[in-house]
Amino acid sequence: MKKFKRILALIGVMTLIAALFAGCGKENSDNSNSGAASSEKTYDLTGVKLLNDGVLCVGEEVGYPPFEDFAEDGTTPIGFDVDIINEIARRLGLKVNIINTSFDGIFAGIGNNYDVVCSACTITDKRKQSMLFSTPYISNYQAVILKAGDTRTISSFNDLDGMTIALQKETTSDELISDYKSTGTIDIEIVANEKVLSCFTQLDNGEVDAVVVDSTVADGYLAKNPDKYIYAYKDEAEAESFGIAIGKENEALKKVIDEVLADMEADGFIKETLEYWFGAE
Amino acid sequence: MKSFFKNLFDVKNWKKKTKITWIVVLCVLAVCCVLSAIKPSEADMKLQASEQMQKLIQADENSTRKHVTVTYNSLIIVNYCSFSTSGASEINEKYVGFAGQVFHADEGVGKFVGQMVNYTYRMLGCGENILHGAKLTLLLTTLTTLIGVILGTLLALGKISRNKLLSKPCSAYIFFFRGTPLLIQLFVIYYSLPAIFGFAWRDLFDAADNQAVYKGAFIAALIAYGLNSGAYCAEIVRAAIQSIDKGQHEAAKALGLSYGKTMRLVIIPQSVRRMVPPICNEFIMMLKDASLVFAISLMDITTISKNIMTSEISYIVFLPALIIYLIITAFFTWIFNAVEKKFSLYE
Repeated sequence: MKKFKRILALIGVMTLIAALFAGCGKENSDNSNSGAASSEKTYDLTGVKLLNDGVLCVGEEVGYPPFEDFAEDGTTPIGFDVDIINEIARRLGLKVNIINTSFDGIFAGIGNNYDVVCSACTITDKRKQSMLFSTPYISNYQAVILKAGDTRTISSFNDLDGMTIALQKETTSDELISDYKSTGTIDIEIVANEKVLSCFTQLDNGEVDAVVVDSTVADGYLAKNPDKYIYAYKDEAEAESFGIAIGKENEALKKVIDEVLADMEADGFIKETLEYWFGAE
Repeated sequence: MKSFFKNLFDVKNWKKKTKITWIVVLCVLAVCCVLSAIKPSEADMKLQASEQMQKLIQADENSTRKHVTVTYNSLIIVNYCSFSTSGASEINEKYVGFAGQVFHADEGVGKFVGQMVNYTYRMLGCGENILHGAKLTLLLTTLTTLIGVILGTLLALGKISRNKLLSKPCSAYIFFFRGTPLLIQLFVIYYSLPAIFGFAWRDLFDAADNQAVYKGAFIAALIAYGLNSGAYCAEIVRAAIQSIDKGQHEAAKALGLSYGKTMRLVIIPQSVRRMVPPICNEFIMMLKDASLVFAISLMDITTISKNIMTSEISYIVFLPALIIYLIITAFFTWIFNAVEKKFSLYE
């Protein structure tokens, strides 16, 4: 009798678990159904050259949050760029292979080591001469970040006069502020670091007065640490755009990526992802 | 010392080689003096700017956002001047002044010379305070080696001491600092300690001093390098002391010298000669390790040359870097050789 009860209980539990799984499965399939419904459109991939058939190889310098960074497991790349490129590939019916590489010389690998580079690349005229760029998927400004509690007001870069600021080496911020300094516009001490994180640590420790950084990166840090820093200034006048860099001979790939990006913009995917990574404005 | 000066003024008895060296040195100096006297002045160089550039410079004077960068670099016999604008349409003008003449430096030999002058000037840290370029490398390496030798001697004596309270901590210290990478020690001292204890390296200096941030970073670097080098030097000193024949200890004991006196008067003076070559080695390693200061925002020769390479996409920048390093190393090898010779008297 006891044994029979046990078996009964076991069967009961199993049915329950099965039901639970079935429920989940149903929900999942529902999701994918609705997802497929919204992006049922298929894209024409004729003429697109890929290094590996069916796989989009992407060069990225993983280590630039919130654009691309490793998750806590140390192997999965996550970030805004990763989401964007994964979604593009999903809609094109391709697999994604992200190749972590150093930003120095990242563009030299297009067509050899990977098909495209999606690594917070600013679109510049100089770069356009040697490669193709997709339509911009995010705009970026130069921003000044102060430590919370700092009462200084910054209404232009000229207000940084006499301060000590930190910035990441060889970025647009570096070029811009170094130019302000070398032309003698303002008297400023520039502390140049290899990593953005070092700049924010120096601000925390009080080694520097301010950090000048891409507004997108600043958004990410501020969203994570809302009471540690203040957004002092954003240079709205000079916007720069990030695009996906594509090999010069791969016109077809550029065309199809542009198409997908336009659709992603239209159905709100980009806006959603922006809000997720950079916080709602 | 006395005989050294006596030999110095006794020109007639100099060796032939010494004479030739002196003649060459004096000739080079004389040529340099002449060339530096007749090189174009700073004002002359700045007048070279084209009309278009002059207009831009004048427009800048009253503007809150200036656009033209004027660079003037002067290296003993040659000087370099460049004007460049930022923005989408870049305009660049470069000039090299040499022997009373001004040359265009936009292409060919002129460009090469201009780049060399500019890069060397930047890497030596001219026009900046002592915490930049070659000056930083030299200062950091020299101070580190001094701290290292002093700390190392104390640690070595501690480690070979029979008192366990002294020898165990010294061994532990050496184990720790030799067993962890210098870069991580630097990170811990510069970033972690202030975060844990709530202070800033910059606050050690006057708040109005706009170089305070570099000075703070330098102090942190000096502490990290000194502590690290101390551990390495300790092992060098210990090996040197223990390599002295046991008979020396016994003889000192027989003469009634105490342990302290034995060490100070008999053992250490003899071991110095054996220490010098490995310490010279350690010094040269430090010279190159000094480039790790890039991690805490200081700029030494290597960091500056790397920066120039990426910003100007120029690979010849490494040429002056190598030469600067070689000159520094040659100079210090010569000094260490002289020290070694002096202490060889005992053997």
